[in-house]
Amino acid sequence: MRSATLPRERVVGVTPTGGAALGGLALIGFAALLLARRSAVAKTARPLARVVPKLPEPTRAARPLPEPRPQPPGLPAAVRVGRRLNQASGVLAVAVLLDSAVEHYRGSFENKAMISPLVSSALSIAASLHGVADRRVAAHRARDTVYAVAGLSGFVGTGFHLYNIGKRPGGFSWLNLFYAAPIGAPMALTLSGMLGFLAERVRDNDPSEAPLVLGFPAGRAVAALAAGGILGTVGEVGLLHFRGSFQNPAMFLPVTVPPAAAVLLGCCAARRDGAPRLLTRWWLRATALLGIVGVGFHAFGVARAMGGWRNWSQNLLNGPPLPAPPSFTGLSLAGLAALRLMEEHADG
Amino acid sequence: MAERYPGYDVLAKRHTPSWNEQTRRVIDARLALPREPRFLSEDEFRTLVAIAARVVPQPADRPPIPVAALVDHKLEKNHGDGYRHAALPPLREAWRRGLGAIDQEAREAHKQPFHRLDAPTQDAVLKAAQEGRLAGAAWQGMPSALFFSHRLLRDIVLAYYSHPTSWNEIGFGGPASPRGYVRMGFNRRDPWEAAEAREDDEAAARQENKRVR
Repeated sequence: MRSATLPRERVVGVTPTGGAALGGLALIGFAALLLARRSAVAKTARPLARVVPKLPEPTRAARPLPEPRPQPPGLPAAVRVGRRLNQASGVLAVAVLLDSAVEHYRGSFENKAMISPLVSSALSIAASLHGVADRRVAAHRARDTVYAVAGLSGFVGTGFHLYNIGKRPGGFSWLNLFYAAPIGAPMALTLSGMLGFLAERVRDNDPSEAPLVLGFPAGRAVAALAAGGILGTVGEVGLLHFRGSFQNPAMFLPVTVPPAAAVLLGCCAARRDGAPRLLTRWWLRATALLGIVGVGFHAFGVARAMGGWRNWSQNLLNGPPLPAPPSFTGLSLAGLAALRLMEEHADG
Repeated sequence: MAERYPGYDVLAKRHTPSWNEQTRRVIDARLALPREPRFLSEDEFRTLVAIAARVVPQPADRPPIPVAALVDHKLEKNHGDGYRHAALPPLREAWRRGLGAIDQEAREAHKQPFHRLDAPTQDAVLKAAQEGRLAGAAWQGMPSALFFSHRLLRDIVLAYYSHPTSWNEIGFGGPASPRGYVRMGFNRRDPWEAAEAREDDEAAARQENKRVR
């Protein structure tokens, strides 16, 4: 009886969120190298300058730098962008809270630790709301702590999910990657925490200077993180939409539109001038919109299952996850905030 | 014996998301089955009732599952399995011949129709059939051991476990459609499945089974 119903049960299920582990780290590493080289060029006294060889920059010197945008009156850029990053982190945290609540309920909270992403993401949402409302310049210690905890629990969660996959018969087989705990999902919590952490670092700058985070220009750092996060999320979506056989052509959208946004954002982070910022901005907006439209598509997916929405208590668990797509919205908002930073500060 | 799934009643799910119109129609028809034979003769049916009582004996404290009527229904509809052992005739013919032969063997060996024998003697006749020791003319060459294992045992057990009363006994959730399973891992339970009582804590399972829907 069970095996007869098995394929239908498992067509759709768990969270395409986050999977930033490899893509994200690689991209951040790459961006860090670039940034190191750039700041080495600017200041020449950095110790890293000796490690990274100076490259000739023929075209860049020839072209004039774009004029920095005039500062809008009111709040300093660092605070405005910081709040937008708080917002991006909050959107991601909402997706994580709803998704982990549904999926861990489905898992009957078998392991007590399965409650932790709910707590951590709920705290992140609270911190983000507080951050959005907060117009002060400095970082906030409580928010910082909450974001740091979110970042860490995402990593710990990845460990638990890897353990869950590994302990099943067959270990790290495709079957278990498809149907066991989703390998990439906890990284969405980490991304939310890191975005929030960066929001605090951006705010924690002298308003008259270009904001730095951990010594790097803030805009580029945030752009690199957002781009890496988008690519990781695309990995998870690709895995689960492949499991769903791309049965609806729209299932290709989240594996084509966001990667282009990530590449564009990466270009903007890597190049001071000549970067296609206008295109990137609109592409990021499209990606943000896709995250919302995706909820509609997933709702349609729930309706398609046997019994449709009348059988919601079954099909919400079994159908495509409603809260998953807005991860792209959160990461795109972070990318847009990063663009803003880069525009307002020539080396921001 | 303590109940294994205390308080569980699969029929209580009739008006929940677990059942739909089709489920209700099928189960209603199964529960409304007439108790009289429509395919078998009175004699054959009496023999079948007696055999079923030995193969799947039932407790006295609940309405019995009409196993013989369920088998007769299958014969009337001629619902074959889609395959059969090559040495056995088709469904209807196998049952007709087998029931007649078992009754004939009883009359020859014990001077009584099968349903009038006492339980141990009935068991002895069935055991002889199971071991292929019966080969009277009434079998018309049909191997009694094959009839016993491929037809008699199979159809009687299938009939017994097609009835909701037996589902309550074994904690079976009933038809998975339209609900479907969500929790697929070992030892995991969906809210529409029966909760099994632990030895030390029957009350918890009874409480859970009240909420099954």
